[in-house]
Amino acid sequence: MGDSQYSFSLTTFSPSGKLVQIEHALTAVGSGQTSLGIKASNGVVIATEKKLPSILVDEASVQKIQTLTPNIGVVYSGMGPDSRVLVRKSRKQAEQYYRLYKEQIPVTQLVRETATVMQEFTQSGGVRPFGVSLLVAGYDDKGPQLYQVDPSGSYFSWKASAMGKNVSNAKAFLEKRYTEDTELDDAVHTAILTLKEGFEGQISGKNIEIGMIGSDRIFRVLSPSEVEDYLQEVE
Amino acid sequence: MTRFEESAPVKGGFSFDLCKRNEMLVQKGLKPSSYLKTGTTIVGLVFRDGVILGADTRATEGPIVADKNCEKIHYMAPNIYCCGAGTAADTEAVTDMVSSQLKLHRFHTGRDSRVVTALTLLKSHLFSYQGHVSAALVLGGVDVTGPHLHTIYPHGSTDTLPFATMGSGSLAAMAIFESKYREGLTRDEGVKLVAEAISSGIFNDLGSGSNVDVCVITKGNREYLRNYMLPNLRTYVSEKGYSFSKKTEVLMTKITPLRELVEVNEGGDAMEE
Repeated sequence: MGDSQYSFSLTTFSPSGKLVQIEHALTAVGSGQTSLGIKASNGVVIATEKKLPSILVDEASVQKIQTLTPNIGVVYSGMGPDSRVLVRKSRKQAEQYYRLYKEQIPVTQLVRETATVMQEFTQSGGVRPFGVSLLVAGYDDKGPQLYQVDPSGSYFSWKASAMGKNVSNAKAFLEKRYTEDTELDDAVHTAILTLKEGFEGQISGKNIEIGMIGSDRIFRVLSPSEVEDYLQEVE
Repeated sequence: MTRFEESAPVKGGFSFDLCKRNEMLVQKGLKPSSYLKTGTTIVGLVFRDGVILGADTRATEGPIVADKNCEKIHYMAPNIYCCGAGTAADTEAVTDMVSSQLKLHRFHTGRDSRVVTALTLLKSHLFSYQGHVSAALVLGGVDVTGPHLHTIYPHGSTDTLPFATMGSGSLAAMAIFESKYREGLTRDEGVKLVAEAISSGIFNDLGSGSNVDVCVITKGNREYLRNYMLPNLRTYVSEKGYSFSKKTEVLMTKITPLRELVEVNEGGDAMEE
């Protein structure tokens, strides 16, 4: 990096106009496990690989897809502990919004609040940016929505997106297979096929996780047996 | 710039600075402003399959009935409800706040809330305000450890009881409970007893009145019976109606339609980069 005189803050601009720490954070995301999301006409599905470091790990105790509110769920790529901090803060912000306005927080608002937190960590002293990108899936009065939030704090709304190790292949696959009026079940199948593309080893209900939200506006993480059912439909 | 906002509690809420000033003003003869008190009869009892809570629906402001049909049974969690007596604003705010905390706790632990959790959150909050938060609560619910019923006093002490009453009508209601309560009541017997106790408060206490609200909580289910009994209906309404002699003549009628829709700026949400 060569700018040791700027070493008191990790997020000082480099001469080329970039924030190098954020670039590094994006690299950390890029080496995380693949996750993806697809917005269907009547819902959203998010999915991720759940590769555990050893077969001795109790996979039932690991849950990568989390619920933020009853109608909003999130999955991440990158550093798990960082994502836990963000999930905790987002849940609290959603609850504070409800306390103040007596209205369930709209998806865009929650995404904006989370992105603000992530941006704060790129402009404060003594902290580092989060090493995760989040995919937020929700269903509110505006319909199904899918947002991606990056370590820099920028967020985008996607029809379908992927992050992590296999991002370029996965995105290419999604571009080919995505259609505007796809139904939720078809979207789940597409998600599974996309994960299968770059999957090393045998895909099963135990090493992927799928979360979905339909027009009932309740976000659920599928159980391993439900994932197995979908896998068999895809075979 | 070391501005690092942690999720620390927002500084606000009660500041005791003005209490001394208020005391001084009262001594000088200023009448303190009246606030909405709930008078109230609230009750709870444990029956065979769970807990039943009951409350009247009158809110008073001194000698005036401010709300003839207010809701005193507050939601805390899907399996926990809380009746509140005392200052209406205090009971509302405290139950709302603890309900919010319980919801976050459920997200973090992935489990249903327990009644003792709600109890401890409420009593620590009330104790830290040394009785200035005037909320007397009857907390009841069913969780994995079974049915529970507690009373919480404004200073932060609690009781765990099979049947409980609070509020200005508590003596009237307790008389009914003490004579008729027994263990192992069925749902219908329990609801009847609760309604009787609340009615006793409604008819014998000036601070309680109007209707009876009942909430039955069992394992995995709850029934909120709003206005279960309406013993104080307005019996006579004049059919003739009222006629008022005309005072001013109408010269001209003009209707101006207001613009129907609010214009929404679409596409304002996505970030540019």
